[in-house]
Amino acid sequence: MAEKVEKWYPGEGKLTPGRAILYVILVLGLISAAARLFLGLGATTNLNDAYPWGLWISFDILSGVALAGGGFTMAAAIYIFNLKKFEPLLRPAKLSAFIGYLVFVVGLFFDLGQPWRIWHPMVMWNPHSVLFEVSWCVMLYTTVLGMDIFIMALERWQKFEWVNFFRSIYLVLVVAGVMLSTLHQSSLGALYLLMPEKMSDLWATRAIGPLFFCSAVIGGMSVVTLESLISSWAYKRKPEIKLLGSFTKGLGIALLVYFAMKVTDLYARGATVWVDDAPHFFFYLELFGTVALPGILLTFKEVRNSVKGLYWAAGLAAFGVVLNRFNVSLTSYGGYREFSYFPSFVEIFITLALIAGGILIFDLGTRYLPVYKSELSGEPG
Amino acid sequence: MSKAMLIDTTRCIGCRACQVACKSWHNLPGERTTFSETWSNPKYLDSNNYTRVIFYEAARADGQPAWNFVKRQCMHCLDPACESVCPVGALTKLKNGPVVYDDDKCIGCRYCMMACPFQVPKFEWGSAVPLVRKCDFCADRIEIGLAPSCATSCPTQALLFGDRKALLQEAHRRIGAQPGKYYPEVYGEKIVGGTSKIYLTPVSFEALGLNHQGFRTDLGDVPYGIYGRQWMSKVPWIALGVGSLAVGLHYINKRRAEVQSQKSPEGKEE
Repeated sequence: MAEKVEKWYPGEGKLTPGRAILYVILVLGLISAAARLFLGLGATTNLNDAYPWGLWISFDILSGVALAGGGFTMAAAIYIFNLKKFEPLLRPAKLSAFIGYLVFVVGLFFDLGQPWRIWHPMVMWNPHSVLFEVSWCVMLYTTVLGMDIFIMALERWQKFEWVNFFRSIYLVLVVAGVMLSTLHQSSLGALYLLMPEKMSDLWATRAIGPLFFCSAVIGGMSVVTLESLISSWAYKRKPEIKLLGSFTKGLGIALLVYFAMKVTDLYARGATVWVDDAPHFFFYLELFGTVALPGILLTFKEVRNSVKGLYWAAGLAAFGVVLNRFNVSLTSYGGYREFSYFPSFVEIFITLALIAGGILIFDLGTRYLPVYKSELSGEPG
Repeated sequence: MSKAMLIDTTRCIGCRACQVACKSWHNLPGERTTFSETWSNPKYLDSNNYTRVIFYEAARADGQPAWNFVKRQCMHCLDPACESVCPVGALTKLKNGPVVYDDDKCIGCRYCMMACPFQVPKFEWGSAVPLVRKCDFCADRIEIGLAPSCATSCPTQALLFGDRKALLQEAHRRIGAQPGKYYPEVYGEKIVGGTSKIYLTPVSFEALGLNHQGFRTDLGDVPYGIYGRQWMSKVPWIALGVGSLAVGLHYINKRRAEVQSQKSPEGKEE
């Protein structure tokens, strides 16, 4: 191991209470993962024939991918729409997107009945299947993100000839990333096109693909905002309020556009919206509490220019994306079967461990990779 | 020739010989069961029970109790949703009727279970290396010219095996001959694009109260796989569109920024 010359930030390398908790969760998750692998899905999860998809699909896969939408959203903003001022937000977004997809892949590994066959879609094709397309897009996009992280590592290792080579083809990576993300973010919603009869009217819509795409942009942007605020706090830097204020103006607009899309869709389908039951409660919470409310909050300059305001607005928006994915994949089935589902401890611990592992890798990444400062002047473009 | 099975529920006596025959042919383990309030046994289809007879007690018009026995198993759709959604193509509709499953391809994602409009595919939850299980229409028997084991075991000819076209004709002939005895609709003729298991019932499945036990009547006549295939047919165009739009916008916006910075050398952004 090479000895480190400089400290990247004060207090580096010490086991803080925060990290200790993350490690404990990680260990619990590893034990749960071993139980899952050796004892099987039936023994360790509460999944059953009536609920073949549970917490792991709702959170690790649907929510994880949507929240990792920051990578392609930021790449599109900076390289395609040329909004260069947001460049400081790009690298953390890429890192967290990569970690988000790692969480997806690991989560999927435990969810599959035959995890070691995870590569099968590569050679066994069914071009009629939306899930086939999603698996290819995720595979390719994770590779694109991995290359992006690799370029950061090359900068760290001072291999500038290689960095320059990758920068010369960088536009290809950006366009591929945006294209693949557009496809699989919306296709994850399109998975649910085939089960309208099982779902509640509130979420069963032919427009679910575009809705998923739009909310993935929201998920990505709100996570980028939260990430910037939290890392400023954790690494004791000054929050980039001015930049975030301008950035979240875009988030607010995205939220209001998404709200309009959802309302138009519900109105066009004539869905029964005003009913007093549990699914409708979650629906109101989602639509008004986590889409409309942060959208309206972010129209105020005072909210956008305060750390607290940004935490609340971006936090609500990110929570809303997660809530939407849970609603589509779990709440929506409430009235369908005489069974109910609540995740088991193993399911919960594996999910928590994935989150904890993600944070620890992010922490590691920010320490070892040039995430917050570019070693070279300027970004590739 | 596409094979099918006509299930005339008015002929069924509820002996469950088909359940036993199915277990024998597929080498499935027996299990200890208990009577449920509906007398149906077992209570659900699962990875060890590919078929079961639902017992349903109803009151006739004259006040006498009437039993209905409805055999449930994979419907073997003509255009199966499961085949359409499987990411590795583990499920296939054979030309001669059965929808079969390839143990060696399946990754265990369970999308087929989510997508099946009849909730037929079941998972081996008890196993550490689980696979999906469902009725295979005894594809191996059909291949060598035999009838499925359930049809062979049926003592009352409630399970009629044959060519789908001929069986549909027979079903409509029975309805025409005894209009009072049958509900004038063959379940499976058109639903989700048609199935290879077709049913004759005394009343509609809705009236039997089985429309939430795998015999939904609100599924429509369009095969569900179409929704996924329509989406997939758009995918190459979305990819091409987004890709070229991204490249185009990149150069336009870059050029615009260059022009702007030439106009105002300070290059203000606000």
